[in-house]
Amino acid sequence: MTPPVAFVARVYKPRIGARLVAVAAGCLSLMLGVPAAVADGTLERAKDPVYGWVLYNYHQGEAFEALTLLDVARERGGIRGHGDYPTLLEGGLMLSYGITREARDLFTRLLEDANTNDSVALAPEVRSQAWFYLGKVFYLEGDYPLAYENLQRVDAEVLQESDSELYAEWLYLRAQLAMMSERYRGKGGDKAGDETLIENLRKRLKHSGPWAHYLSYNLAMAGIAADDLTQAQQRLRELITSMEGETPKDELVSEHRALLDKSRLSLARLYLREARFDDALTVLGAMPLDGVFTDRALFDYAVAATGQGEMQRALDTLDALSQRALFVPWREQVPYARGYVLEQMRRPREALGAFSQAAKHYEIRSNELIAARQALTEENLMRRLNVLRNSDEIITDSYGRLRVTPIDFGLSEVLATESFQQALGELNELYRMQALLVQREDQLSTFETMLETRRLQRQRRSRETHVELEQQQAGDWVEAQGAFRAKIEAALVEEDAEFFMTTEQKALKYRLDKVAATLAQLGSNANDTTGQRKTYKRMKAYFDWTVANDYGVNRWAAQKQLSELSREVEEFQSQRAAIELLMAGDKKHNELAGRLARNAAELQSLKTQVQGALAQARSILMGRLDSALEQQNKELRRYLLASRHAQARLADQLFRASQSTEAAND
Amino acid sequence: MTDSLKTLTAGMLATLMLFMSAVAHAEPGTAEDSKAVAERVEDLKKKVIRLNRDLFILEEDLLFPASTQFAVFLSVDAGEFLKLDAVKLKVNGDIVASHLYTNRQVTALERGGMQRLFIGNLKAGTHEVTAFVEGIGPNNRAYKQAATLAFEKGTETAALEIRIQDRSSDYQPMVSIVEWE
Repeated sequence: MTPPVAFVARVYKPRIGARLVAVAAGCLSLMLGVPAAVADGTLERAKDPVYGWVLYNYHQGEAFEALTLLDVARERGGIRGHGDYPTLLEGGLMLSYGITREARDLFTRLLEDANTNDSVALAPEVRSQAWFYLGKVFYLEGDYPLAYENLQRVDAEVLQESDSELYAEWLYLRAQLAMMSERYRGKGGDKAGDETLIENLRKRLKHSGPWAHYLSYNLAMAGIAADDLTQAQQRLRELITSMEGETPKDELVSEHRALLDKSRLSLARLYLREARFDDALTVLGAMPLDGVFTDRALFDYAVAATGQGEMQRALDTLDALSQRALFVPWREQVPYARGYVLEQMRRPREALGAFSQAAKHYEIRSNELIAARQALTEENLMRRLNVLRNSDEIITDSYGRLRVTPIDFGLSEVLATESFQQALGELNELYRMQALLVQREDQLSTFETMLETRRLQRQRRSRETHVELEQQQAGDWVEAQGAFRAKIEAALVEEDAEFFMTTEQKALKYRLDKVAATLAQLGSNANDTTGQRKTYKRMKAYFDWTVANDYGVNRWAAQKQLSELSREVEEFQSQRAAIELLMAGDKKHNELAGRLARNAAELQSLKTQVQGALAQARSILMGRLDSALEQQNKELRRYLLASRHAQARLADQLFRASQSTEAAND
Repeated sequence: MTDSLKTLTAGMLATLMLFMSAVAHAEPGTAEDSKAVAERVEDLKKKVIRLNRDLFILEEDLLFPASTQFAVFLSVDAGEFLKLDAVKLKVNGDIVASHLYTNRQVTALERGGMQRLFIGNLKAGTHEVTAFVEGIGPNNRAYKQAATLAFEKGTETAALEIRIQDRSSDYQPMVSIVEWE
């Protein structure tokens, strides 16, 4: 029966819901093409691992992770070796993640720089496509002045040559903007040579498949809006003829059929408006019975048949329509219409029954709607929607819109609107943010535990170090070094050669002193020691000479050792001071703890902001749904009232008829 | 009767016009609301990215200080001769990371992406890293190859790359480990 609502939306908002949905994906492929374009068609290797890592996330569609990594890289001094391409990539990722305003500023800056700065060597096709995608994003967001501004920057020839499909879309968007306001028709205003700009764009689009058809359809709708029904009819007739003669590609068949049917339906309604029931029946009769707009066509067929006075045909059509299982709000007209047709067929009893049934139906439905409005919660809404999921993850399109179909088809019309889709997408995005913040909160709490554990370990190690330092008796060592220095300095003043003797010399002196002592004990008269005394004297003289001779060398060696020792002691003392300073306070720990606290505060503030935005988004969504249901209910009440009036009128009519019959019989 | 027909027809035409005008008009109040929420969501997204960045850096500073940080990336150059399936990484004889690849990940690698396979801490000194790569090689045969690198870790962050490349000389894949400066 009725296909997914998104399909209907696609026709109502020509291509916006579907074709343009690929913008972000397109941006991404454009950015992917960027390095390739530079490197003669071969993929350039990442010259910075972080850039490679960004690409890894980016190619998997993980825009959030890729953007985070780019931000991390920027914080650490940027990505090396890739010029401005990381920035271009960031712009594409921002578009894909829905940060469009920032992306616009970034693209504008970058692409304008590319015009003036040689270091930003962007290929012309890359530049044109970037402008195109940027313009398209703004068009989608309804920011038409910016859309126009960016689309105007596209180099038409370059775009046509590089991507004919994008070029066609570009013409289409320009025509759409030109239709909206004179402001978007450029310097030449509405003229492009001898014809209007829009006509010129339409001609250029002629052989570009669906875009030309959508533009023709939209031009017809603009004609209706301007009350130029003749022109609108003419356009629709031309469009139908042109589309009937075409065989679209396989992937475009259903879209082609839907637009063709929509065009026929619109034309038939214009005929109905002018009471050209025959023409309306002909157009509607050509519509297939299994199309997207079959139900509406059947209803319009019944209206046309009624207008033409073919009541049985109208009744059969309405009966066929009543058999359809699915329910959409516009079909509420059917029960009333059945009664009306029966009344027109002069079958008052059946008409009375039909109106009575219709009234009952409207009453039940109205009560249902009142109950639904009273119990309207987000949970209820979600229960009435079928959201497409991939395992646990909700699937969204490149714009963050949910892939959703209604379980309750009473919601289909409201769900099909762009604003509702956007609100639903935003709500989902905010929930994702909320979940991420909860996850990050857990992470922060783990960090806090880690930092606390680190602090405790540090304290324990500080205590141990304290004990070790005490055991080293550092004070004694410093004192000893001071005493040694004083002795050396005194010996230097006194030029005390003995003080600076080497260990060997000291050993020799000890032995010589021992010999001298022995000789002294033997006495000076002992004849047998003369030889030894001479030898001793000679040795002593030689020894004294050696000591005097080595005095400079020995003194230098002692001074060297003293200065080395002083240095060691100094280093020891400075290390000790550093350790004591480290033990007294942990700068690193404090810095990390400070960052942790700041992040925790920011996280809490973000959580509050997300909560606020969620409440706002939820209220907008619920408000929209509530107004839609209220509108439906108003319609129902109108039909209920009309059915009851008809019931009363028919009952009165039948009563009076029965009374006249009785009177006649009497 | 004629009035009813007029009412019905008018009702239908009103519906018709409603559908038609839906293309051109939007409710101004709701559009403003939507814009306000959209801008708020966009602003929040930027803030969330910033917070995520700060936490990312904080996590690295806390767990993997620059003096001991050691990261291993993996890249696939072309991927014509090897369809990557799994990778195992050993550092000094211990398995520190293993990964099974999805098609999406393989495609991302083949398109120039680099995966950060491992991040950890290593002391300054000599270390040995071994990577075991598995996949489907030429002629659809199961393929396994290992590569080893002994490297000197200084006091700066160290980054290695497991590079899977196509070797056109013998139409075979080649696995190597290179050090990033």
